[in-house]
Amino acid sequence: MSAARLEVRGLTKRFGGLVAVRDIGFSIQPGEILGLIGPNGSGKSTVMKLIMGIERPNAGSVRLNGAEIAGWPTHRIARAGIGIVFQHSRPLHRQTVLEHIKLALLPDSLLRLAADPAVEGKARAIASRVGLETVLGRHPGTLAFADLRRLELAKAIAREPSVVLVDEPFAGLTPSEVASFSELIRGFRAEGKAVLLVDHNVKSVAALVDRALAMYLGERIAEGTAETVMRDEQVRRVYLGGSIEAAARVSTGTDAASPLLAVEGVSVLYGKAQALDNVSITVREREFVSVVGLNGAGKTTLFNAVSGLVPYRGTIRFAERTLAGTSAAAIARAGIVQCPETRELFGEMSVAENLELGGAHLTNAARTEQLAWLLDLFPILAERARQNAATLSGGEQQMLAIARALMMRPRLLILDEPTLGLAPVILEQLSKALARLHTTTEITVLLGEQNVTFALPHADRIYVLEHARIIWEGPPARFAAEAGAQYL
Amino acid sequence: MEGVQILVDGFAISALYALGAVGFTLLFGVSGVLNLAHGGTLVVAAMIAWLVATGLHLGTATGALAGVLAGLAFAFATYAAVVRPIQRSRAIPREETEIFILTGTLLWGIMCQTALAYIFTTNPITVPALIGGVVPILGVRTPRNEILIALACWAVIGALWLLINRTRTGKTLLAASINPRGLTLLGFELSRVHLLVWAIYGVLAGFAGVLLATFLGASSDAVGPLTASAFSIVVLGGLGSVGGSLVAAYIVGYLETLTAYLVAPTLRSIPPLIILILVVYLRPQGLLGRR
Amino acid sequence: MALPRFRLLQVSVLIVVIAALLPLWLSAYILGVLTTAYYFGVFAMSWDLLFGFAGEVNFGPTFLIGLGAYTAALIDNLLGWPIPFCVAAAALAALVGGLLLALPALRLRGPYFGLVTLVAVLLLQNVIVIFAHFTGGEIGMTVPDVLSVDAGTNYWIALAVLTISAVLLFGYSRSPLGLILQAAGQDPVEASSLGFNVAKHKLAAFSVSAVFSGVAGAMLIFYLGSASVDVVVDLAIAVQIIIAAVLGGRRTILGGVIGGVFLIAAGQVLLPLGQLSTFVVSAIALLVILFFPDGLLGHALRRSEQE
Repeated sequence: MSAARLEVRGLTKRFGGLVAVRDIGFSIQPGEILGLIGPNGSGKSTVMKLIMGIERPNAGSVRLNGAEIAGWPTHRIARAGIGIVFQHSRPLHRQTVLEHIKLALLPDSLLRLAADPAVEGKARAIASRVGLETVLGRHPGTLAFADLRRLELAKAIAREPSVVLVDEPFAGLTPSEVASFSELIRGFRAEGKAVLLVDHNVKSVAALVDRALAMYLGERIAEGTAETVMRDEQVRRVYLGGSIEAAARVSTGTDAASPLLAVEGVSVLYGKAQALDNVSITVREREFVSVVGLNGAGKTTLFNAVSGLVPYRGTIRFAERTLAGTSAAAIARAGIVQCPETRELFGEMSVAENLELGGAHLTNAARTEQLAWLLDLFPILAERARQNAATLSGGEQQMLAIARALMMRPRLLILDEPTLGLAPVILEQLSKALARLHTTTEITVLLGEQNVTFALPHADRIYVLEHARIIWEGPPARFAAEAGAQYL
Repeated sequence: MEGVQILVDGFAISALYALGAVGFTLLFGVSGVLNLAHGGTLVVAAMIAWLVATGLHLGTATGALAGVLAGLAFAFATYAAVVRPIQRSRAIPREETEIFILTGTLLWGIMCQTALAYIFTTNPITVPALIGGVVPILGVRTPRNEILIALACWAVIGALWLLINRTRTGKTLLAASINPRGLTLLGFELSRVHLLVWAIYGVLAGFAGVLLATFLGASSDAVGPLTASAFSIVVLGGLGSVGGSLVAAYIVGYLETLTAYLVAPTLRSIPPLIILILVVYLRPQGLLGRR
Repeated sequence: MALPRFRLLQVSVLIVVIAALLPLWLSAYILGVLTTAYYFGVFAMSWDLLFGFAGEVNFGPTFLIGLGAYTAALIDNLLGWPIPFCVAAAALAALVGGLLLALPALRLRGPYFGLVTLVAVLLLQNVIVIFAHFTGGEIGMTVPDVLSVDAGTNYWIALAVLTISAVLLFGYSRSPLGLILQAAGQDPVEASSLGFNVAKHKLAAFSVSAVFSGVAGAMLIFYLGSASVDVVVDLAIAVQIIIAAVLGGRRTILGGVIGGVFLIAAGQVLLPLGQLSTFVVSAIALLVILFFPDGLLGHALRRSEQE
């Protein structure tokens, strides 16, 4: 191997007792694009921050053109030749696009009170290169989302770095914008820069990367070409939960004319990013519906819109009542209870107190009865009743979160990504509990999952969400044939 | 002899400081608001108690009740007129809400101070003691009222502890301070939780104001210094930590009493300031702070 | 883009010329009020450089002002140096104070740094009271030298200090350094990823803010003929400075002048109300914060931007 432009060896980072990154190593040659992929919480973003010096590694080395830069302050690393494109930016409100690019070209000196006249020309050249030449005089507040991303790109390459790190290059972009951004990134490769793309999944960057490295729970699980990584057994297990199989099951959904939940043409914007684009789904009484999609596809946004936690356009009706104008808490009391991806437990309160709060709106008798039923469904919670929620294991926390949501006696239970970061043994327990829930109660469930193996067996119907849109709908039996192949 | 005197006086003063600070820290813990009109709440309660007790000759007990109610009313006014409009304003960027609430409540406190000075003049007032007489404690003649104040402070703090840890309403407050979003998902309206915590804050500050007026006295000029001392105690103990505030109140109370007796009364406020700076530099989350 | 900036220059020059001619018509009393207001304007601009650009909330601008003022007063009293040397010493003392404040600012965030600045003021106030033998304690100390006994001259000096400070501070804020500082204040991680040493730029801002505060503080006491805690150190003054800057408009620098003059002038106009004048001024400031959070100048700028 010739001398690598960027060489990372044995990189390790601990936050308290948690190992976020363990012994990660890779190298990128000049003119090469490496994709660093992994689901939420896999440690990929931490790796990027460690390279940039935003976090300090506990161990390991980062070499730029052979020189050790691990542990340097960020501004020195930037000047040594590494540029970073952040996913979320906070541009200055009173400055124009041109001024933002000029900022990135300024020397870090306290004595240069006036900018070099050449800066203006250089800034304009960079602007034309990334496609901002028509909006030079505008303020960031008036820019379209893609142009804000272009501005980030422009700033990152202003100092002509030899290594470019890009965080989620295509998040929130339309297909044509994705194409033009890909072209820009290929341009970096042509110039001989080393590029690191960090993303949730291989699929979105597969066409662009020369090699990919997959991470899970802080460790490397696969490396190679995009195809090899996509076909890798362990990667498929992480994303899909193993091979896709649909259990034949009797649909329990009633065929009532009007659905329990009707989401019609709902769109959500985060700032300027389109997080949900004209999405319609229905859930009938006693039905189990799964929405599957990779991280970042828009599942959480959809559920938050239903729960009244984010503003949206379109209509959402529950039991034939429109939910617009109802507060999130009132929606929860009306019977739509969400158990979020982040669990949102009361960490410094005991398991019993968490459950108690879930049942606060019930009568005393109903609460006792519901609690007894739930402790039967999740026996481990009875053993842990006096323990603080924060001290539970990940799987136990997930069970507590589900049990706490069920304490509210929901008509519709929304489960967002319950398998996130859990070990296979726990998944099995969770799966059994869901099956029991489904067969022994009248509950209606809307499940959001990346893990298809977990989502399929329970479901009466499946929706596939990709890039903020519903792209497929059907029974689980048809999923493997029609949607499974292109899923990852 | 002097040692016992310091122990006794320090205990009473610290208890009062603790009561003055717990409401402030509870409000921050549950709703994230640092109320810089805090001194105003205390003095309003003190002044109304004085007005009703001596101005209207209705006795100290009635005055005390009126004072607590005045503290409650002023707390609600602060929330409705200053804090909620800022929290709901669309023109104020989210990341700047904090500085706006600080500036807004500061201005509100100044308005309160000048209004009080206009109505009641800047002369210090003292509400007559609830009970008279002195009791010797280990040879130190201690006013019964001082003992009553210390006991009353601890009774109120104890009641607060029971409320938070033993009632369902209190657990809601605790949950809101840990994870407000989790509480929303369980069907609790955060706006109601906030209203509740402002009510508890008003009652606690009202009590502290009334007791202050019967012990050390109060004047409109005390609005600023009272806010500053509550803020210091709360930061020393750890923002949002009720237990931390109690410990810090005793550290500050005893340090001040010690300095006043052993060095000079004019220097009493300096050692706590130095301790505060050291803590903020070395342990910014405060003595018992979580974050 | 060039047009509004050109207009800003024209308007500013016009305002300075009119302000310079005011002694021809106004009484010595009103000139005195404006003289104080102008020094206030410098305080508010210095504060805005830290808050609006470096992103640091300093609740104790009077720590820096008081350091400068008392250094100048002590040197004038004890050593009898001429005024310019006293002012230079004031600038130096404030600079040291500014660097002392900057150290925690680089480590602490949010309310904690604000608290340090608050405590710094209280400590300074206590030190002044403890060393009452030198400083006159709560009563204050007179200075043997004054700038001038003529109201007009004092007014012109204050106007000159204000104009020079405004040009330098505004120039700093609009220069490449101001741009970097603003980026560092808004998002330190991103600014350092662009290769900027955030700590260096923040230290520079603290130094500049401190020097202007100290100089204006010293000039103010040589105008008044005395230094006292109530005028240059008290937290109430610190609050007024912050209000002046927020009222005028955060991140505008020049807004501080408008806010300072408005605050002092309003206080004087409302003087017949006696004690209630502070009440009315605070109420107006509160209403502006609630309904025009961008401040007077900020609101005007935003409207012209939208046009």
